[in-house]
Amino acid sequence: MKKSVVGSMLVMVMLLGLVMGCSTNNNQPANDQPAAGASGGEGKTGKTKIQFWHSMGGNNGEYIDKMIKAYNESQDNVEVVGTFQGSYQETLTKLQQAVPANTAPDISMLERAFVPLLAEAEVLADFYPLLESTGMSEEDFLPGLLENVKFNGQLNALPFNRSTPLLHINKTLLDEKNLKVPATWDELEAVANALVVKENGEFKRYGYSMPYASWYPIAMIQQLKGAFFHAEGTGMGFDEEGVQTFEFLKKMQSTGALYYPPAQDSGNIVNSMFASGQIGMMMESTGVIGRHAGVVDFDYVTAYLPMKDQYSSPTGGANLVMFESSKNKEAAWDFMNWVFNDPKGGQQFILDSGYVPFTKKMAESAEMKAQWEKVPARKVAYEQLEHALDTNNDAAFAAVDQIFLKATEAIMYDNADIRSTLDSFKKEAEKLMQE
Amino acid sequence: MNRRKIWETLRPYVMILPAMLAILCFVIYPVFYLLKLSFYKYNLLNKAKSKFVGVDNYEQLFAKDEFYTALTNTVWYTIATVSLTMLIALLLALWINQKKGKKINALLQAGIFTPHIISIVSIALVWMLLMDPNHGILNFLLKLVGLPPSKWLQSSSTSMMSVILVSIWHGVGYYALIILAALKSVPPTIYEAAALDNASRFKTFYKITLPMISPQLFFILIIMTIGSFKVFDTVRIMTGGGPNNSTSTLVYHIYEYRSNNLGYASATGIVLMVIIAILTFVYFRMLSKKIHYQ
Repeated sequence: MKKSVVGSMLVMVMLLGLVMGCSTNNNQPANDQPAAGASGGEGKTGKTKIQFWHSMGGNNGEYIDKMIKAYNESQDNVEVVGTFQGSYQETLTKLQQAVPANTAPDISMLERAFVPLLAEAEVLADFYPLLESTGMSEEDFLPGLLENVKFNGQLNALPFNRSTPLLHINKTLLDEKNLKVPATWDELEAVANALVVKENGEFKRYGYSMPYASWYPIAMIQQLKGAFFHAEGTGMGFDEEGVQTFEFLKKMQSTGALYYPPAQDSGNIVNSMFASGQIGMMMESTGVIGRHAGVVDFDYVTAYLPMKDQYSSPTGGANLVMFESSKNKEAAWDFMNWVFNDPKGGQQFILDSGYVPFTKKMAESAEMKAQWEKVPARKVAYEQLEHALDTNNDAAFAAVDQIFLKATEAIMYDNADIRSTLDSFKKEAEKLMQE
Repeated sequence: MNRRKIWETLRPYVMILPAMLAILCFVIYPVFYLLKLSFYKYNLLNKAKSKFVGVDNYEQLFAKDEFYTALTNTVWYTIATVSLTMLIALLLALWINQKKGKKINALLQAGIFTPHIISIVSIALVWMLLMDPNHGILNFLLKLVGLPPSKWLQSSSTSMMSVILVSIWHGVGYYALIILAALKSVPPTIYEAAALDNASRFKTFYKITLPMISPQLFFILIIMTIGSFKVFDTVRIMTGGGPNNSTSTLVYHIYEYRSNNLGYASATGIVLMVIIAILTFVYFRMLSKKIHYQ
């Protein structure tokens, strides 16, 4: 009897501790949890440890590990610890939890569209003084990739693994029908329709496709000289341009010229259909060049996105950010500086992975030129950066993107009326932006 | 003596204290925290930028078509899944409970229970492959018997049905097993008496079997309704709420806004909690009289 009372008392005390634990306030400083290690500090070897979160799995993950290893071996003062945190969205979610809990890393990879969200919360470090400290400046980076990295006079992010959409083409199919690589929307429509193969009421081959994402309609809106958000950042920057974009897509969809994939796993579906010749052309990221070049059994080429009123392509991929909470900004910068300047750093990663080069030095390097010689498809991506334009720079983008995709689904899957769907989307989006 | 009396009064409270503390910490505290969040425009990254907005989130919620779509979808999903699962589980249980063909029945019992022990994630992924409109086996079979193929998960008119199908397939074995256990516990003497009275099979089932297993059926009804209202995993993996919100459910709706608009997601969470509380209350009120506890 007595024993069980003592036992239950013990359990009680333990649970009490638990309760205290779970009601601990987030506002407490992080220094009472040195073991977490996420906030940096001196490692056992006397090296300064820098935490670096990234979203690169698979092959790209190996390339980034290789880069980190090369840096760690190149000097004795700083040790970078790279951690794969899942997709861009998952990394963002983890950062959103880590920042208030004071366990944010020193450096993180951050999808470019999410930068405004963190910048507006004022948790990112300013890169201007850091760049200056090692004699660099924003001039060293390609201007097309610096579209949404500056907020309130600060430079909050720098490009790293950046990409841009391209037109990927199965040239063998085009040659069979004596078709030219399309350069305008009209040509695209004609070529795509010419590639369609229909048997017994079923499409055996489609002309053109793109994954399910807002990136691609945004590119088209920009080609019509519209913008996703207008420059003042208080509302949407398109009207007729949106209607025309979706009317064009629906028209192509109705004849089999366009295959619009299901939302789930759309990238994989579109790419495997392209690789197996079921789709003639696709608008897709530069990131998939490595998946097709030298692998597919047809003549694979890339081209600029077809133009309407102008050439235009948004950019994608991720930037690097440093957190204001980092206690080792200098050490973290030492690593980033190395990444930007050392041939074994970012340059090697770009060569390995196929993302677009992001510093001028990199783009002009002999190694990069040699690779372009071998894989011309990659060079197109770099050249197209001349037309790079990002019009979706707003802290509300993540939220607006979500409802834009819903509108896209209604139009592309359920034939909803284009104008009224976009009108109600815009009303809701403008409300989100004002908040 | 007096001290002993105090202990006697205190003892039950001391005994339940550990459990209550755990509930307090992991259930009550989060619920109130959720309630608090639902009144804020919450900035996850910078707490100082969070704003108290009163019932704004609720106003936004009740003005949003998407919420009503999610609610309607959830209700349809729940009605279809609960009624069909219960019906099929009952039929299966009655079949397995037969005296004839014991060996086959044992095999059948193991077979229908297997889906329950497999992770729903794997099940959803396999069904996605089966339901692929171009290369899936289901469409192949449909064409083989001369029926028109379906778009399954990829069309808003058939996506919900497809998700429901997978949920039923996953759950039916487990519930059949519970009902089977209930059937086996009905005393055979009652059936013997009914047989002596020349009662028809239907009447025996309706007047004896059903009332005798009603506590278990009621339990399944409650558990399944609550579970169905909280459906998430199949939707997350198979459709992502689409196409065009056709499979978006309340919990998925909450999930979608978890990082963009935490206050709004919390408000939706509170609404979901209220709905489930009301449903459970109504069930207990309405059905408690009709249930036969032995």
